[in-house]
Amino acid sequence: MIAMFRLALFGLAGMTIMYFLVSIYSRSTQREELEKAWDAAQGPGDREEFIAAGMAAYEKGLRKKLIWLVYVIPTLAVLAAIYLLNFA
Amino acid sequence: MRYVKWTLFTIVAVLLVSFFHYTLPQHDIVRIVGTENRRIDFGENSFFWASPDVGTSAGTNRDVRFINAERPNGRIIVYRNEDTGWGWPPYFKLDSSNLQAESQALVSTDKANPVWVSVTHYGWRNEFFTIYPNAITVTQVEGPDVRIIPWFNILFFIFLAIILVMLWRMWAQFRERTIDPALESIGDTIDEVDARADGLWARFRAWLATWTGKPRR
Repeated sequence: MIAMFRLALFGLAGMTIMYFLVSIYSRSTQREELEKAWDAAQGPGDREEFIAAGMAAYEKGLRKKLIWLVYVIPTLAVLAAIYLLNFA
Repeated sequence: MRYVKWTLFTIVAVLLVSFFHYTLPQHDIVRIVGTENRRIDFGENSFFWASPDVGTSAGTNRDVRFINAERPNGRIIVYRNEDTGWGWPPYFKLDSSNLQAESQALVSTDKANPVWVSVTHYGWRNEFFTIYPNAITVTQVEGPDVRIIPWFNILFFIFLAIILVMLWRMWAQFRERTIDPALESIGDTIDEVDARADGLWARFRAWLATWTGKPRR
């Protein structure tokens, strides 16, 4: 049991690191897209405000929620492996 | 320098290939000829053995289950049958007792009516270290010529490539958006300081020149 908890702990730590890295990356690409969109169209409105509004929409959007898959996919993979290799 | 580079490259490549060849699952079509339990005292080969059954305690030695088999070409192969539990490699194998019973049910010593099985395993057989591949699952197959497509390994390498590309993209994005602007701003600051110093220095030189009687420029 201790070995299982150790695996869970290290797995959780690893997935948390990945979650933060992917979050930072995703936010950065989103901001870059917004900047390029404004620079190409020179609008609408003020550049800073346009980017701020776009980032606020991103924080509520689906793409940010999909980053939780970083936790879901490895957990499901481990559960599937345990089932398929031992009980299937 | 070129030789050093290529030597290092070769060493890294050999290590990586060996690592994956040892750790990833492979399939053997064999005929199981017997199963047994042996006590093993682990020595300098202990690195190549997995863990005691999940929930039992670890000692300096323990009984290990073995599966003896013969390949279609008549050469023999011996597998160990050990739990990997929650440790490395991540096969989460908890059922070595069940696997031993399955193997015993598939023992085929009648050469006229052989029962062929596909043994999924990882690891190597090496006589110099007394190490054995660890059997993961045993399934009965039609015959010795069945073609088994290693789907898991294909998906694994595709997934690994996706992860590596993703990490590389993340690093490129970080460099482009965070490191480069920071370096640029440092560069700008240095340039400014430099320009200001040049101005001061020029004025100082001009002032010195007033003492030597040279005309001011």
